Amino acid sequence: MVLFTLILIFLYLLYVIKPIFESADVEPVNEISVQANGQILATGLDELKEVAYLIDSQGSMTFYQMSKSDFRDQGSEILSEQLVQGDIEQVIASDNGRLLIVDEQGQVQLITAKFTATYPQDSRDITPSIEYPLGEEVLPVDEQEGKVERLGFAMNEEKAVVVAYTEDNRLIKTTFVAEDDFNYDPEFEAVYQEIEFFGPTVDDIKVTPDLRMAFVRVGNSVSVYNLDDEFSVDKKAELNSIVPNGVDITATALLSGGSSILFGDSDGKVSQWFEVAGKSGREFKKIRSFTASKTEPVVEIHTEMFRKSFFTITPSGEMGIFYTTSDADLWHGNIAQKVPSALAIAPRADAIIFADQARLSLLKVDNQHPEVTWKALWQEVWYEGYPEPDYIWQSTGGVDDFESKFSLVPISFGTIKAAAYAMLFAMPLALSAAIYTAYFMPPGLRKKVKPTIELMEALPTVILGFLAGLWLAPLIEDYLPAIFLLLLTLPIATFLAAFAWYKLPKEMKVKLPEEWAPIILIPVLLVAGFLSFALSPILETVFFGGDIRQFITNDLGISFDQRNALVVGIAMGFAVVPTIFSMAEDAIFSVPKHLTSGSLALGATPWQTLIKVVLLTASPGIFSAVMMGLGRAVGETMIVLMATGNTPILDWSIFQGMRTLSANIAVEMPESEVGSSHYRILFLAAFVLFVFTFVFNTLAEFVRQRLREKYSSL
Amino acid sequence: MITVSPKTLNDVPAPLDLANLTPEQTALEIKDLNLFYGEKQALQNISMKIPKGQVTAFIGPSGCGKSTLLRCINRMNDLVDICRIEGGIELNGEDIYGKHVDVAALRRKVGMVFQRPNPFPKSIYENVVYGLRITGEKNRRVLDEAVERSLKAAALWNEVKDRLHDSALGLSGGQQQRLVIARAIAIEPEVLLLDEPTSALDPISTLTIEELINDLKKKYTVVIVTHNMQQAARVSDQTAFMYMGDLIEYSDTNTLFTTPAKKKTEDYITGRYG
Repeated sequence: MVLFTLILIFLYLLYVIKPIFESADVEPVNEISVQANGQILATGLDELKEVAYLIDSQGSMTFYQMSKSDFRDQGSEILSEQLVQGDIEQVIASDNGRLLIVDEQGQVQLITAKFTATYPQDSRDITPSIEYPLGEEVLPVDEQEGKVERLGFAMNEEKAVVVAYTEDNRLIKTTFVAEDDFNYDPEFEAVYQEIEFFGPTVDDIKVTPDLRMAFVRVGNSVSVYNLDDEFSVDKKAELNSIVPNGVDITATALLSGGSSILFGDSDGKVSQWFEVAGKSGREFKKIRSFTASKTEPVVEIHTEMFRKSFFTITPSGEMGIFYTTSDADLWHGNIAQKVPSALAIAPRADAIIFADQARLSLLKVDNQHPEVTWKALWQEVWYEGYPEPDYIWQSTGGVDDFESKFSLVPISFGTIKAAAYAMLFAMPLALSAAIYTAYFMPPGLRKKVKPTIELMEALPTVILGFLAGLWLAPLIEDYLPAIFLLLLTLPIATFLAAFAWYKLPKEMKVKLPEEWAPIILIPVLLVAGFLSFALSPILETVFFGGDIRQFITNDLGISFDQRNALVVGIAMGFAVVPTIFSMAEDAIFSVPKHLTSGSLALGATPWQTLIKVVLLTASPGIFSAVMMGLGRAVGETMIVLMATGNTPILDWSIFQGMRTLSANIAVEMPESEVGSSHYRILFLAAFVLFVFTFVFNTLAEFVRQRLREKYSSL
Repeated sequence: MITVSPKTLNDVPAPLDLANLTPEQTALEIKDLNLFYGEKQALQNISMKIPKGQVTAFIGPSGCGKSTLLRCINRMNDLVDICRIEGGIELNGEDIYGKHVDVAALRRKVGMVFQRPNPFPKSIYENVVYGLRITGEKNRRVLDEAVERSLKAAALWNEVKDRLHDSALGLSGGQQQRLVIARAIAIEPEVLLLDEPTSALDPISTLTIEELINDLKKKYTVVIVTHNMQQAARVSDQTAFMYMGDLIEYSDTNTLFTTPAKKKTEDYITGRYG
């Protein structure tokens, strides 16, 4: 029954985890025929994938019912509006569904397709409309009213920036500065600037959504301009050798968030570049590359709005789906016979729509967890902005374009670190106590000591964690020298007391009943402990310049957290001592007496007998006691939650905290959205934890069974 | 009455005068030994001399103190906290309860084999060399020689010589008991104490052990505690009969079993009680 329940838990965990390892899938949903005037320049879709739109080169924007609804037939035209007078040259898609319409005179108009859901007859009706965030009037980009050839655009609430290359070979920057906020008021002021540029042509311009940089591509080299300065635009960097000789850049795209730029080339490769802190300041670096096609060039790259996924298109209509951070090659397949006239990714990235001649096709994209791969979970990943690949757990951040970093390595490491420090504290203590109690202690005293220590196990760990976090951690911080001094004084005091007792004349010894002889150690240890604490400030002044914390941080260069591995080691060690003690004591005590007699009768001293016979025979029990303790330390939650500081760092330092799998689950479960990658990864963390404890306990049981068999004839 | 062939005469020497053994002939002398477990007295005024190079058997009903007496000889009773001893035992003229006696060294001189075979959970080889290893012997050749010599002396060599490094726990009960004897004699004791060594064994193993005891007395003084009177008659030269903590009668085996001096002895050996 227990096994059945365990298997059910196991299966349920697997069931929740499974989707994160599934690859992407794309399948056609539906297709409608449309009538466009001239060439189709752009397309798009509402969030619910019910209404689609097209913008054609003659300047009209038309909305269609993409799927069947209670109000309209599938494929019916809902709304059609003329955007600009005259022909449209190009449409630049920007963040948040904004589209910049560029006409043949080099004038622009910014539009946003808006979809309103109403529920007139108890069913949903999506009504599209067009909004003009910069006003309905067309705006000249060039002060000199020349035509533009290439254009890059991005905006936020306060500013809209256009970087354009004009017909007469000038590179210009035009900024529309809002008087208040574009969200409420389309009033603005235009600022025109010219950028120093000597080039015959420009192939591509991209402006980052934070309006700080512009990438201008001329052939195979890319210049990066700094747009931060209001008065002048200067060149920040130039990227050369992006592609090998004989290969040309054929497509450019900014990844969601705008920190990374992607270059597609004629060799079918896509490379990702971003700025990292190098020796000579921040510089652009090639981070990784993907193979979109072995035979064809990459002609288009489309990026998702919120995730670091991108879609590649080749001339034969083959599409590839990739995820940058996890290095994942998710899907490949032909969606059309040639490059579609226009293609857009649905706002929720769960579909793509593309227009081809007179058809609009909707494809469902099932790509729930592209950021999670085996590699992203367990190997070093080079995240945007980081100087090098690293193991990072950072599930949520303060900004919208934050990229979750799901490396299980730091938290698995934290689990092992916490358990290791706990065992370092608990094992010597518990095992020595077990040996003494089982082998040397007078039976009368043993009867009292054993249940007392076992009673410690009943102490709720939340109390231990609470005390560790709020009492022990500050205490250790204040009396750090004392803690390390105790490591010396306690054993020395114990040995001295034992030696003195040994040397005591027999007449004095018999006055104290033998059962109570060990009790004399208590005052000795108390005095030693008190002395250590009393000496602590003096030591601190003499050796560590008055403040050991500063000494450690400044002189030794080790960072010091108040809630660190030392605190956890002691607190959690305290929690596992009874487990190890109880089992190990049983094991040692149950070593058959005739074996000890046999050894003693051969002239062995009690110590020799202990080491060569008793511990050997009790080894299976001692081993499984340690493993059970380890299993408990690994699975322990409350103490590590309250006393570790929960910082997911990879560092063995005793003065630093950690975050464990169990604490991580406890901390983050409430804030994870059901069904999200984060949610599923927490289940994976639970699964890993389960495997950890399961392995330790099974190993303990297995070894115990094996050794018990071996010694069964004793 | 009994016709004694010259050969048997060599095997069975003339009975010793147990009361007046010379110091050279005496291995152990027990002097007015009283033993208490807490308030309860378990041995009362035991005095006897155990001759060298002979087999001495202690017999008597359960609880008569024969095992307790045996355990006094190598001070195994020290392990019992409430045990208190008055009087003394001399080994080769030295008091083993003296103030500066090293108990471990004493136990190396007085080996002991228990009722239940108690090999350690180690290999046969390691079991035999255990006593040598704890004295710090590391020389491989010395150890190898000791193993061969002891196992041969314990009549086990031929059975285990090909699997010296297998676990001792894989041996049969009789083999285990002989291994324990080999382990005891590997450290060359002077006296070997056997505490009902065959009570947990089958008749064939018992026979092997009894033959072994006969061989052992050539080199060691053997003291055996047994429940089994036939066994005492078969293997021992002297027999002591104990009853309720008292030594009732102590004489050469032949005399004790054929013409007991005390009524209690006669009752016991004829099976009236026990």
